[in-house]
Amino acid sequence: MSLMLICDDLMNVNWIQILLNSAVTGSLYLIGAVGLTVTYGLSGFPNFAHAEFLTLGAFIGFWIAEDIGAPLPVAFIVAFLITGIISVLCYRFIFQPLAKKGASTIHLMVASIALGFIIRYSIGAVWSWTPMYFSIKWPSYIVGSVRIAGQWSLLIVVALVLAFSMHLILIKTRIGKAIRASSSNPDLALASGINVGRIILITWFAGAGLAAVAGIFRAVNTQIWPLTGWDIILPIFAVVVLGGIGNYYGAIAAAFIIGLAENVGVVFLTSIGLSTEYRMAIAFIIIVITLIVKPQGLAMLFRRG
Amino acid sequence: MNIAVYILDIIIYIGIFSIVAISLNLEYGFTGLGNFGKVAFFLIGAYTYAILSQAGVPFYLCLICGGIIAAIGGLIISLPALRLREDYLAIVTLTVGEILRLIVKTESSIGGGVWGISVKRAISISFPAGFSAINKTVINAGVQIVLIFGILALCFIVLQLLTRSPYGRIMRALRDNELATESLGKSRAKYKAQVFMLGSAIAGIAGGLFAQYIRFIDPYMFMPIVTFTVWIMSLVGGPANFTGALLGATLVQIFDRGTNILKDYITLPIDPVNLQYILFGVLIILVLFFRPQGLLRESKFTTRPLKLVYEKRRSDTSNKKS
Amino acid sequence: MKKEEAILQIKRASKHFGGFYAVNDVSLEVKRGQICGLVGPNGSGKSTLFNTILGLQKPDSGDIIFNGTRINDAAPHQIYNMGMVNAFQIPHIFPSMSVLDNILIAARDYPGENMIESLFLRRKWQEKEQKLIEEAMEILKFVNLDMLGFALTSELSGGQRKLLEIAKGLMAKPTLFLLDEPAAGVNPVLGKKIFQKLQELTQEGMTFLIIEHRLDLLFEFASWIYVLNKGIIVAMGQPHEIVDNPDFYQAYLGEK
Repeated sequence: MSLMLICDDLMNVNWIQILLNSAVTGSLYLIGAVGLTVTYGLSGFPNFAHAEFLTLGAFIGFWIAEDIGAPLPVAFIVAFLITGIISVLCYRFIFQPLAKKGASTIHLMVASIALGFIIRYSIGAVWSWTPMYFSIKWPSYIVGSVRIAGQWSLLIVVALVLAFSMHLILIKTRIGKAIRASSSNPDLALASGINVGRIILITWFAGAGLAAVAGIFRAVNTQIWPLTGWDIILPIFAVVVLGGIGNYYGAIAAAFIIGLAENVGVVFLTSIGLSTEYRMAIAFIIIVITLIVKPQGLAMLFRRG
Repeated sequence: MNIAVYILDIIIYIGIFSIVAISLNLEYGFTGLGNFGKVAFFLIGAYTYAILSQAGVPFYLCLICGGIIAAIGGLIISLPALRLREDYLAIVTLTVGEILRLIVKTESSIGGGVWGISVKRAISISFPAGFSAINKTVINAGVQIVLIFGILALCFIVLQLLTRSPYGRIMRALRDNELATESLGKSRAKYKAQVFMLGSAIAGIAGGLFAQYIRFIDPYMFMPIVTFTVWIMSLVGGPANFTGALLGATLVQIFDRGTNILKDYITLPIDPVNLQYILFGVLIILVLFFRPQGLLRESKFTTRPLKLVYEKRRSDTSNKKS
Repeated sequence: MKKEEAILQIKRASKHFGGFYAVNDVSLEVKRGQICGLVGPNGSGKSTLFNTILGLQKPDSGDIIFNGTRINDAAPHQIYNMGMVNAFQIPHIFPSMSVLDNILIAARDYPGENMIESLFLRRKWQEKEQKLIEEAMEILKFVNLDMLGFALTSELSGGQRKLLEIAKGLMAKPTLFLLDEPAAGVNPVLGKKIFQKLQELTQEGMTFLIIEHRLDLLFEFASWIYVLNKGIIVAMGQPHEIVDNPDFYQAYLGEK
């Protein structure tokens, strides 16, 4: 394909639509990744089972909304609560005692992968491995040249509300201040009388709950099967790494940067004749480049986060 | 299936995965490198073998090339990743595995994409007429066992010699305290890159052996579960003991097949494949809790001269007493 | 060997963290075959200065010259192999290995540590290893750890680890040996014995730069002292001169 043709292709792309899609993708990654980055920062290891929290949330939501027939908001809330509680139990009965026994970071990571397999295959056993689809039909709106699906606008609203309320919690409340203190220096926080153990439990609860919400959105947009969460493990880790581990504001910026990079990347991939499957490779490249160039990610821009 | 054929099949799998497990022991158990993308190098070896053997390259060259390309892949990854903290290394290696699988899945020109690619056996015997099918299968399996266990023995001896030497002492030192090793004049980047290349090469060779044994590969055979299975083998048997890796590989394979056989005899409420991986997960967490050093421990002595000095001392003191 | 020649020269070195100067425009010289002391109150920048010399932290400005070579940009392992070694204040041990392993790994120029040689020239490195074990035993005897050669390092007490750290440095046969508080945590008699041994080793051309809070010991054995306070060299001279120098007292008392 000649360069001229590529340029021609790019000219014909609906860039406003791309920007909107990027915001949607970024919102999904933000909700999915925020729990991972905060627990990673506080507990000191990446919880690879976080992807399974997305999947678990999606299935609980599916069960509530499709099998029981409750309205979607109920599905969101129940999925949030159950996944959060399971996450806290996992931390309390697996990771915390392991860490107390002096397990290395590698051991904790292996344990989290093991936990991921337990959850993933339990889901497979309960709900089977056949992909399923949410039956809810969303209205979609055409504004000018842009198509907006109903679930997209909801997703963006949820992400914005989350971003803003998290900001308020971090800045205004005692818990938020404690989270910030603990993630920047756990020892100091401990010495200053902050109950770091409780803070960690709260972050494991809320982080996994948000992952569940992201999982439902992902499942509504695509399909639901035991790999719903694992399918987007690369961009989620890319958000964590690019944003700077444990850094909430970095994660917001990173989520939207990666959303944009993926959507613009897909346009380029198609125009040079490569498969759009490679959109995941974009997240991978971002991870590798960040770790080589600046392992602390965007965190240096958001010191106080 | 005939029971003898079934047992031979298990033995062959034990051989192939023992090779991967000892390579993980080299990287993780001795050097402290948490490679969560073992499957990536296994995949490189398998696809290299498949493609080269289709082009008519002799099998030993296919295996060697698979090893070399996996080693180069290991070097490329190690350059940025080995300077990093262990959790970053884990993220990078894990994602590399996913990316490689994505590439072979998407690019149908490499290895048939999702449809996979058929592979020739390394050694095929032309049987005279009158051989029963079952005899042919058994003899072929016997040839495979000789080939695979020959390579396993070779890798085992090389790694055993390497770890019981001053080189192995540096590996253990890197695992214990990286910065202290660096400040004692050893370039940690150099040693880690070498170990990572060697481990990847061995995993690549195992991938080649795997491809030629099952005679057909597709991207779905290289899921992260492969890496995880190898980790279980290493952790259960003993990460810093190569015999332990063999033991671990044997136990995990028997457990794996055992649950498969079990499903023919008793009806379980859940699919045995799901049950098996759930049990694997539970098993690994139990091992981490109750026996993190694995079944077999690390040898007390790094080198033979040290061991000799120790034994001489002990016999001296016992002579004095008597 | 020329005695008066400087083996280590630091020219106007500075190292700051944010706005805080841990080492501020420090110049000093250590002469070959000397025991040179570096004293100063806690937080005066002694350890940072050591880290800068060893390549563990890069100086922000200035030059560090070892044996006539500028080593500002050398990696720690390169500096070690040039013959400058260090005994850390908090011993750096390898807990899963024996005491002898911990010492043997400190040997320099050991071809057995090459992958090819360790695999294919086994006879050769094993002979070398036997010699090194004998040397290591000698060193262990000197630091009173000879009964613990095969003990697991994680089982050593704090004081024993300290001695092991010094033994490791001696194993490398350095030309310049930096010691960060060698006598801390060691019983007084052994502390003195260590300094006596170091003095013996200066006869063989070894040079020492020592941080030590046990000033009685240091002043007895050192031939030159630098006093560091708030990152600045405030006094220097022979021990008897330092004892009479008001800046020296100021450095220590000024804190209170």
